Amino acid sequence: MAVAAASAPRIENRSGGFSLRWLGNALAHGYVWAWLAIFALPFMATLAYSLRTPDGIWTLSAYQYVFGSFKENLLLSVQTTVITIVINLLISVPAAYAIVRYPLPGKSFILSALNLSLYTPAAVMGVSLVIAYAFLFRIPQTMTGLIAAYVVGTFPLMLVPVIVALRDLPMVFEEAARTLGATRMQTFWRVELPLLGPGISAGILLTFVIIFNEFLVTLFIAGPSTTTAALRVYNLTRTAGFQPSTAALATTMQLVSFVVVLLFFRFFGSRYLKGTYLI
Amino acid sequence: MTHAPAEVAIEYEIADAQERKRFASPKLRGFMLLAPAVVVAILFSIIPLAYLFQVSLTQDSSFFFTAEYTADNYREVFTRYRSAIVETVYLASVSSVLDLVFGYPFAYILIRKIRYREFVRTMMTFPLFGPLYLAFGLFYILLPNGPLGPLFEMLGINIARYLFSTGAVLFSMAVFTFPFMVMNIGAALSNVDPMLEEAARTLGAKPWQTFTRVLFPLSWSGIVAGFLMCFGWNLGVFAQPQLLGSPKEQAVLSIQMFTKGLVQFNYGLAAALGILLMAMAFAVTWASLRFSRGALGA
Repeated sequence: MAVAAASAPRIENRSGGFSLRWLGNALAHGYVWAWLAIFALPFMATLAYSLRTPDGIWTLSAYQYVFGSFKENLLLSVQTTVITIVINLLISVPAAYAIVRYPLPGKSFILSALNLSLYTPAAVMGVSLVIAYAFLFRIPQTMTGLIAAYVVGTFPLMLVPVIVALRDLPMVFEEAARTLGATRMQTFWRVELPLLGPGISAGILLTFVIIFNEFLVTLFIAGPSTTTAALRVYNLTRTAGFQPSTAALATTMQLVSFVVVLLFFRFFGSRYLKGTYLI
Repeated sequence: MTHAPAEVAIEYEIADAQERKRFASPKLRGFMLLAPAVVVAILFSIIPLAYLFQVSLTQDSSFFFTAEYTADNYREVFTRYRSAIVETVYLASVSSVLDLVFGYPFAYILIRKIRYREFVRTMMTFPLFGPLYLAFGLFYILLPNGPLGPLFEMLGINIARYLFSTGAVLFSMAVFTFPFMVMNIGAALSNVDPMLEEAARTLGAKPWQTFTRVLFPLSWSGIVAGFLMCFGWNLGVFAQPQLLGSPKEQAVLSIQMFTKGLVQFNYGLAAALGILLMAMAFAVTWASLRFSRGALGA
């Protein structure tokens, strides 16, 4: 509907052309803004709910729980997210380097096998891991198990932007450094890694956004001592009903995620996120 | 895969001649760099999934005592749980159609008319923080005394009617996957020259003819890729039916799997449901990767 209105006016109504075009543009922009409002609305509603007591008084008191009884969950979330990002970096950057720069047979098969977990629905991953952890690896309900699940679920998201960035990077920089006498390690650390910065940080952003807010796989494999903040939000809505304190925790989580995304776009733009989970 | 020309690889090997003494060949070194990622994928993705398949062939939780192999679980999945399969596919397809109908104009406007694209992209990350917060926020909005209560009252809409309904679940599913649709269609549309639309119009095509004869065929690959991607994500839906749905929507496969496996400890049946869901998701992903022009670089 908006698309039709957006097209230029035909010649016969030239006199009304200006207003018609103006109307079309207004409708088009209005349509986009309406959707932007829908995107932000659940967050705004959660925020509003967290700031209001049932008696209709506006207060920040619900936020005392975020750094009170929810502190451990938040700490665990931050901890698991940071450890996952570090492990993801350690396994994805070499793998991306091998895939782009080395002559390996069956590359597309290897890449598909590595990406397998990305296409597995979270609930299936959860149920397969809960069985494997309990009866095969014997690490049920531990932080190790949690981090292993996060790593396998998100390292492909780190892999893809780094592969894209590495392909964009001409070989001449590497060759020049090598010709000038740098060793392979020096070339990697001092030349390639800085140039890969945006691609790597795109991977870090994707991992962060997903792991920090992940609750479904966690629901299957976490125990009482390994409840992340996102899982706590879910558990509280299932057991305690809808409390302002739960809303405060959900608001905090979304706010932190949004600030990280904003900072990323500010510094790196969205170029290296193309073709990945975000945009 | 790689677009490095062959002659570059040759020069490269000459430069490496000294180091080659230490590590056998570039091929071996490549595999060594790849090894950690492959080990993680095998240990925590491929082995658990293979294990899940084996468990799906056993009765109840007998696998962990004396395994009784049987195909009964699958028989049960396709008889007693047929309605669950139908419900899952129904919700996923309707929400993906909603995404397509509303996402196409959005992507078109975004690509052709809007200069503040970065801002729109930033706002579009909100649903991507997860279906949990989305369902959670919508729940507040749908509550009888929700924050938008006065507005809905003014419009004469009884919003609380939509709490625990198919509509609310479909809406939240569609909002969650909306960015994926816009991203795919937008990528296809940005490759369509605006001159083609102008040419069609100059030659006398009506707006809808420009759409059906020019835009639609040219963005077909993006439409299919976007639809399949949304469909694939929505097949595994869990939070939205759980928080916003009625028991009918809560029959979706993910929730059934959780109930069977972790509440009733019927691992065999939960595994069979999981294998079915995984097979559906993989089929969709395989199809979507064939249509999206190598978004993953494969």
